[in-house]
Amino acid sequence: MASNKGWQNPYRPYLGTLVGVEDLATDIKMFQVELDDPDMRESFTYRPGQFAFVSTFGVGEAPFCLTSTLERGPTLEFAVNKVGTVTGALHRLGEGDVVGLRGPFGNWFPLDEMRGKNIVLLGGGIGGAPLRPVVHTILDNRSDYGKLTILWAARLPSLLIFTEEFDDWRAAPDTELHLTVDEGDETWTDNVGLITELLDQVAPSPENAVTITCGPPIMIKFTLLTLEKLGFTRDQMIVTLEAKMKCGMGKCGRCNLGEKFVCTDGPVFSYAEVCNFLESF
Amino acid sequence: MNVTTRADLTAWLDRLAERLTLIAPTAVEDQLLYQPVDGSSEITFDFVKTDLPVKEYFLPATHALLSIERGKEGIRLEEPTLEEERVIFGLRPCDARAIRVLDALFLEEEPVDPYYAERREKTTLVGLACQEMGDECFCNSLGLELDDPSDVDLMLTEITGREAPEGGYAVRVVTEKGKAILSGLMLEEVAGSPPKLAFRGQTPILEAEAWPEHFDDAYWARLADRCLSCRVCTYVCPTCRCFDVRDYETQSGDFERLRAWDSCMAEGYRRIAGGHNPRPTKAERLRNRFYCKFCYYPRDFGPVACVGCGRCIAKCPVNVDIVEILEDVATLERV
Repeated sequence: MASNKGWQNPYRPYLGTLVGVEDLATDIKMFQVELDDPDMRESFTYRPGQFAFVSTFGVGEAPFCLTSTLERGPTLEFAVNKVGTVTGALHRLGEGDVVGLRGPFGNWFPLDEMRGKNIVLLGGGIGGAPLRPVVHTILDNRSDYGKLTILWAARLPSLLIFTEEFDDWRAAPDTELHLTVDEGDETWTDNVGLITELLDQVAPSPENAVTITCGPPIMIKFTLLTLEKLGFTRDQMIVTLEAKMKCGMGKCGRCNLGEKFVCTDGPVFSYAEVCNFLESF
Repeated sequence: MNVTTRADLTAWLDRLAERLTLIAPTAVEDQLLYQPVDGSSEITFDFVKTDLPVKEYFLPATHALLSIERGKEGIRLEEPTLEEERVIFGLRPCDARAIRVLDALFLEEEPVDPYYAERREKTTLVGLACQEMGDECFCNSLGLELDDPSDVDLMLTEITGREAPEGGYAVRVVTEKGKAILSGLMLEEVAGSPPKLAFRGQTPILEAEAWPEHFDDAYWARLADRCLSCRVCTYVCPTCRCFDVRDYETQSGDFERLRAWDSCMAEGYRRIAGGHNPRPTKAERLRNRFYCKFCYYPRDFGPVACVGCGRCIAKCPVNVDIVEILEDVATLERV
């Protein structure tokens, strides 16, 4: 990678091409990126939970979690909800268009330490995106992990993501998928209500278990309270947080929670850690 | 000590200005600013401190990270490089220390910021000891001395009297980089040492570890009631370094990815997509600024992110006074 004075320039994105764009839900698309440089394509490694900045040149860049796994192939996948300027511009792109990619940044889920444990995943809306590589890793190494319980929520049925994979998830051994939406529609026959109500109802056992929660901050807060009520300790609860950020390297200063940076100390934290932060997420 | 006369110093500065970019305190309308000068006649030698620090020469208020050209062969990314060698003359110890504070984040913390590193490498720092403390100065409370040479390449202290009847400066070579630009400066070995300068007052500064227990004090909300969120404190601060990155179209129809100063005083600074704002009130934002300086930055990167220059006191339109706050915080009960 070219850079000034021999310093690697971490602000310079790799060029990549969109090899696939598909609708996941209303205003949510999946972008599949292949890096242009064959060497980079070969050497680019990352782990579930990490994120990267995706650029649409001329508009800007924003951080997104990598929702793919290396084990399933070299294509890098991002699930993007159209909410602002950069995501709006990304949504106008199609197959063959060029994007930039910087990363990977941040820490990752402790999937090695989670081996042998029962896993409970709680995803709300687009917050399900960082959990998909966890699901894939567990399903692809099924005997390494205990029972997998997935609680998947969205405001509306049309906002549930990765619906096409639900049959595969359900079909996997010792795996449960529970769905809920805040508001159903005429075709919806599954649960209606908040994820906390579903969690109360499913009541997974804290015995030898680890939970990972991702979703809007308000959903994370109440889900963690419900998990505590069910007997989970704060060490058993993992969250992955979102923050406005501009560099991914702890320099721009924007994503601090007290002295911690979501970009370099996170985005994956245990609830025990989060409770010790001076600031709330 | 090595002494040069004022006349020799100005001759040396004039020659420096001919072969590289000389940045020095100079009057711009009613402000005193570090600006490129063509020669010593433009330099203000007698001053307390400038209106703005030298932060912009290492982390410019706005600068291009990349130029983005969209040609027939696709996207081409170019990184601008800084061609010029620069000398900053007349740096006060507080402003020099502020550069070291920024070094801790941009140079010493991986990954190195290449834009900052290049500017830093191509710039030689010539310090000028303070003759007096200004009204808002409290650098001594942060461990600085008025002639502190530790953060510059050359240190000058103005001397008068018997050693320099026509006015002169004691010159201390601090680094090899400083030595390298010294050639041509007439120096005379004179017995004695540069005069020690007097301090005024001490502001109590709590240790980083003591700050968390005051985090939930009602003090911050009371203080924030008068804050206008105008952000001037962060812009004039020599160590505030938060930035934004955005793409802009250029006149030629291509694009630039620009980095620009940002401020944690801004309402939307922490707001995420979808509207959630983890720091929604002015009190939380103002508190963050002081915690960043005296608690988070030292714990994360080493140095306290305040050098006692007092510019935020001088520029705040509603008198949010960092010295007063430090004194108040030192007397708060544990919450």
